[in-house]
Amino acid sequence: MPVLRGAVTFARFRTGRAGPPRADARRWLVQGLRKKAFAPLDLQLSEEDRAAGFVELERTDATEFGPDLFQGEYALFAYRIDAVRVPAAAVRRELDPWAAAFQSEKRRPPTRRERAERREAVRQALRQRVAPTTRVHDVSWRLKAGEVSVWAASRKAVDEVAAALEEALGVELHPVAPGAVAKLGGVADDALSPTPALVGVGAREVAREQA
Amino acid sequence: MSKRERARAEAAFLRGDVGVDGAAAGADDRDEAEVERDRAREQLLRGRTWLGREFLTWLLWRSESGDPLVEREGVGVVVLFTGRLVLRGIAGDVTELSARGALAPYAEQVRRALDAGLLVHGARLRLTHGEKTYEATVDAEFLDVRAAALPELLAEEEDDRTLERLYLAEQLTGMLDALLAAFLEVRAGATWTRKVVPAMKRWMAANAAG
Repeated sequence: MPVLRGAVTFARFRTGRAGPPRADARRWLVQGLRKKAFAPLDLQLSEEDRAAGFVELERTDATEFGPDLFQGEYALFAYRIDAVRVPAAAVRRELDPWAAAFQSEKRRPPTRRERAERREAVRQALRQRVAPTTRVHDVSWRLKAGEVSVWAASRKAVDEVAAALEEALGVELHPVAPGAVAKLGGVADDALSPTPALVGVGAREVAREQA
Repeated sequence: MSKRERARAEAAFLRGDVGVDGAAAGADDRDEAEVERDRAREQLLRGRTWLGREFLTWLLWRSESGDPLVEREGVGVVVLFTGRLVLRGIAGDVTELSARGALAPYAEQVRRALDAGLLVHGARLRLTHGEKTYEATVDAEFLDVRAAALPELLAEEEDDRTLERLYLAEQLTGMLDALLAAFLEVRAGATWTRKVVPAMKRWMAANAAG
């Protein structure tokens, strides 16, 4: 839980015009988070190898989002990703002796199709035995200021959490990147072209590249 | 061509792996340097990353004096580049350069590289605001905060400590935002190309010349 302790690493976003409603923003947030709340993987009943959704900050198996969701002017919660991955080496370890036994019994190697069917059966069997890995990324949201921080180092994870928030809450999140900040601040596009003396390319080259 | 080979060739064509002439489709026959240069160029243009690089390079130049660069809550913010510095560019054969050492960011070798067309892409910054000192590693593309060191927490209760930690993180990003705003104001102004950039280039070249 990096929000509470540990490495201070986060990516920032600002909510766009369609941000939280001024009235009852708390209720709006709770409803949105519940809409995309984390549901655990059910390896017996489902073919899914991955489950992701919002959870409470300190109880990463709870999705009630009660009064603990708010501390001061911050909403604090997390995004949990559970994934089950069967290592290819483990499948091979089971598959190779089977292929050898098949050959000695039937006096021919298994066909590609037979091998694929067996591989899938082995994978399914191993999938039940592999423990899912869990990753949790904290989110802090200053509702009044419209600032969201995703406490994760991986850009892939940051983008996934931001996309989940946008989908669950119908907000637009703009990264606090220099280009985006300049644009939001009303700096004209012309004034944002690269400086040829520093960068080595100019506006014309950028336009050509982006065409 | 055997029946099997014909079937294989047809399947490769249907997959789009080869063209009608049997040659690999979409095969990248450019040389390694060209591929590298194109990748560097793509990184520079993605999301206007050049703006972040110009910002960090401007900040390096401005921070050398040790004077406060912006004010927050009536107190000046002093910036110092410390530790590792990553430079990236598209001019010349070198597309990335990493400098390590406590004084590396202000070293002559770094300025020489800046003068040759590389810009600061990632840096470890120390921000001093009054009696409080913050450190963070930032990158030019997103200004993400990594491995930040915040001032020591004073609160004792767990909830209060969380809020204090968030408050300090907010102070840190507030300072970064203020620095970015100061840069954007200069960058969008009339003096940028006429005065600021020539002054930066002189600073780079003066040190490169010894």
